[in-house]
Amino acid sequence: MSGPRILTAAWDEPESWSLARYRASGGYKSLPKALGMQPQQIVDEVVKANLRGRGGAGFPTGMKWNFVRKETSFPKYLVVNADEGEPGTFKDREILLRSPHMFLEGLIIGCYAVECHLTYVYCRGEFRQSAMQRLQSAVDEAYAEGFLGKNILGSGFDLEAHCVFGAGAYICGEETAMLESLEGRKGYPRLKPPFPANAGGGLFKQPTAVNNVETLANIPAIVEMGGEAFDKIGLVPKNGGTRLYAVSGHVKKPGVYEAPMGISFRKLLDDYCGGMRAGSTLKAIIPGGASSAILTAEEADWASDFDTLKAKKTMAGSGAVVYFDQSVNMAQALANIMRFFAHESCGQCTPCREGTAWLSRLLDKIVAGKGEKQDVDNVHQIARQMEMKTICALADGAAMPAKSYIDKFRADFDALVRG
Amino acid sequence: MIPLATKAGPAPSPFSPEQQKRFDAGLEKAVAKYPRERRKAALIAALHLVQDELGWLPEPAMAYVGDLLEVPPVRVREVATFYTMYRLRPVGRHHIGVCNSISCWAMGSTSVLRRCEEKLGIRPGETTRDGQFSLEEVACLAACGGAPALLVNNFTYLEKVTAESLDQLLADLGSQPGKQMAPAGAGSTETER
Ligand SMILES: Cc1cc2nc3c(=O)[nH]c(=O)nc-3n(C[C@H](O)[C@H](O)[C@H](O)COP(=O)(O)O)c2cc1C
Ligand code: SF4
Ligand code: FES
Repeated sequence: MSGPRILTAAWDEPESWSLARYRASGGYKSLPKALGMQPQQIVDEVVKANLRGRGGAGFPTGMKWNFVRKETSFPKYLVVNADEGEPGTFKDREILLRSPHMFLEGLIIGCYAVECHLTYVYCRGEFRQSAMQRLQSAVDEAYAEGFLGKNILGSGFDLEAHCVFGAGAYICGEETAMLESLEGRKGYPRLKPPFPANAGGGLFKQPTAVNNVETLANIPAIVEMGGEAFDKIGLVPKNGGTRLYAVSGHVKKPGVYEAPMGISFRKLLDDYCGGMRAGSTLKAIIPGGASSAILTAEEADWASDFDTLKAKKTMAGSGAVVYFDQSVNMAQALANIMRFFAHESCGQCTPCREGTAWLSRLLDKIVAGKGEKQDVDNVHQIARQMEMKTICALADGAAMPAKSYIDKFRADFDALVRG
Repeated sequence: MIPLATKAGPAPSPFSPEQQKRFDAGLEKAVAKYPRERRKAALIAALHLVQDELGWLPEPAMAYVGDLLEVPPVRVREVATFYTMYRLRPVGRHHIGVCNSISCWAMGSTSVLRRCEEKLGIRPGETTRDGQFSLEEVACLAACGGAPALLVNNFTYLEKVTAESLDQLLADLGSQPGKQMAPAGAGSTETER
C-alpha cells in the first residue's frame, strides 16, 4: 500500500480503538484547536477541503453545514448516518470498530461547527452488540474525559451524544427515512423539500445536518492540516482527501483500503488488493455500491471520484467496489441486485414498488432460462420509466444498474433467453 | 391482533420479575436519550428490549410497550412489521441469517444457504422441530470483505464462511441451550412473515 493514510494510520496497531492509543497517535488534539476557532472558521476550512459526503451522494459537507448555519430556528441537530446498508459497503463498520474516537472527535467538532448540542448516531440494528458497543464505550470514555457533556474542555460548549439503533431496513439509510426511524416510526422517506438542513425538514422538524460516519472521521485531519492541504490529497479537483474503498469480490485481498480520492479502479485493484485472485480475470466492476451503474474491465482506468463517475453516468456512491471475474453472468448478478431492491423498497411510490418487483420477476424468469429477448428489452424499458419519479433515490438506484448491465453486458442476457 | 377498541386498563406486563428488571432499566436508558416530550421515539429500542427478553414480539407485549410509550397499537404494529429484525413469531433458540446480497452471492452464499438447509432440514423462514434452529436469508450485513457472511442470533457476525466453519458453528450451537426461547411446539413449517 502506498499514499497518505488519514483514517487508517493506526488500524494495524493493537487495540487501535482504545483512547490511549488514539491519544498516542495525536488524537484529540484537533478538538481544543477547533474549540478555539469560530464555528464559521471551521466550516470555511471544510469548504476549502472539498470534503464530499461519503454516504453516497457526495454532497459538499461544508456547503451542507452552511445551510444549517444559515437557519434561524433552534435547536439544531447533527445526526450521524451509521446505517451502512448499501450492498458491498463495509467501511463505516470498520471505522467504528477500529477508530471510534477519531470519528467521535470529528463528530464533536462538527456539532460545534453547526451549533448542535444534542446529537444522535443512528447505527443499523445488526451492529448493536459489535460496532455500536465499541462506539458506546468510546462515548462513555469521551464523557469521562470531558470531551462530551457540559462545558467541553472549558470552552463553554455543551454537547450530549447518544447512540441509537435501527432494526433492519436498508431504506433507513436514506436520510429522511432515518429521521423518521429516529423519531420512532417506520422508515418512510419524506417528501423534499423541506430538506433536512432546513427548518421543517430535519429531526423533530428542526434544521439538521445528516453526515456519514466516514465523512465526520475526516474532520480532525482537516482542522489539523487545514482545508487546502486536505484538498490537495485528492487526485481530482473538488474531491478532497482520501477515501475508504471497501473492496469485495474476486480479488486476492478483499478489505477496506484508504487511497487518495479519485484513484483509478485499476490501481486500486493492483496496488492495494493484490490483483484478481488466482485463475480470475477481471470482467466487471461495481464502482460505488449496488445502486451504481456497472463498469467493464476496459473501464477500469476510470478515476473513482464523484465528478468523473457522474460524468460517465454512474456514481462513486458509498465507495463500495466489487470486482467480478469471468465466472459471473451479469444477468444473474442483476437478478440478485434487483431482488434486494424489490425487497427493500418501502412501497410508498408506485413506480418504485411496482417497478422493482416487476424487474425482479422478469430477471428471475430470465435467469431461470424461461425468458425471451423481449423480456430483456422490457427490463431496460421499465427501468427507464422508474427514474426521477419517486420520493427518494432508491428507485433510481435500482434503475441505474438495470440499464447499464444490459447496455454493457447484453450478451450475458442473450445467452440465457430464447429467440 | 391487538384489539383496536379502547381497553379497560393498561395492558399487563408480559415479563417475569427478572425480565421486568432488565427491561425497565433498558427502557429508562432508551427514553433518556430523547427530549422529555419525545419519549415515543424510544419505540424501536423498546421493541428490541422486548425481543431480548422473549425472543420475539408477542401481541400482548406490543400492547404493553404501546401503553408505556403512549403509542397507539396500530403504530406499534406498523413499526414491528416494518423492520426485519423483529420477529412476529417465535424462532429457534438459535437464529441463522445468511447474507444473500451481491458480494456474498459472488463468493458462494448460495452454497452456504444450501448447506444450512441440508444440515438443519429446514428452508429459510422455518424452525427445526426441536426448536433449536431457525434459518433466514438476510440482506447485506456490511461485512462484504468477509463474504460469504452470516449473522447468528441477530447480532453475532461470522465471516469468510466455509463448509468446515459452518459445520462447526452448527455443531456448537446445537449443543448450546441458547438465549432465545421458543415456546414448545413452535411450528416447523411456518414462515415468518
Ligand atoms: C436508498 C438510500 C440508502 C442510503 N443508505 C445510506 C447508508 O446506509 N449510509 C449513509 O451514510 N448514507 C446512505 N444514503 C445517503 C443518505 O441519504 C445521505 O445522503 C447521507 O447520509 C448524507 O451524509 P454525507 O453527506 O456525509 O454522505 C442512502 C441514500 C439512499 C437514497
Ligand atoms: S422511491 Fe421507493 S424506497 Fe424511496 S420512498 Fe419511494 S417507494 Fe420508498
Ligand atoms: S453482501 Fe453480504 S455482507 Fe455485504
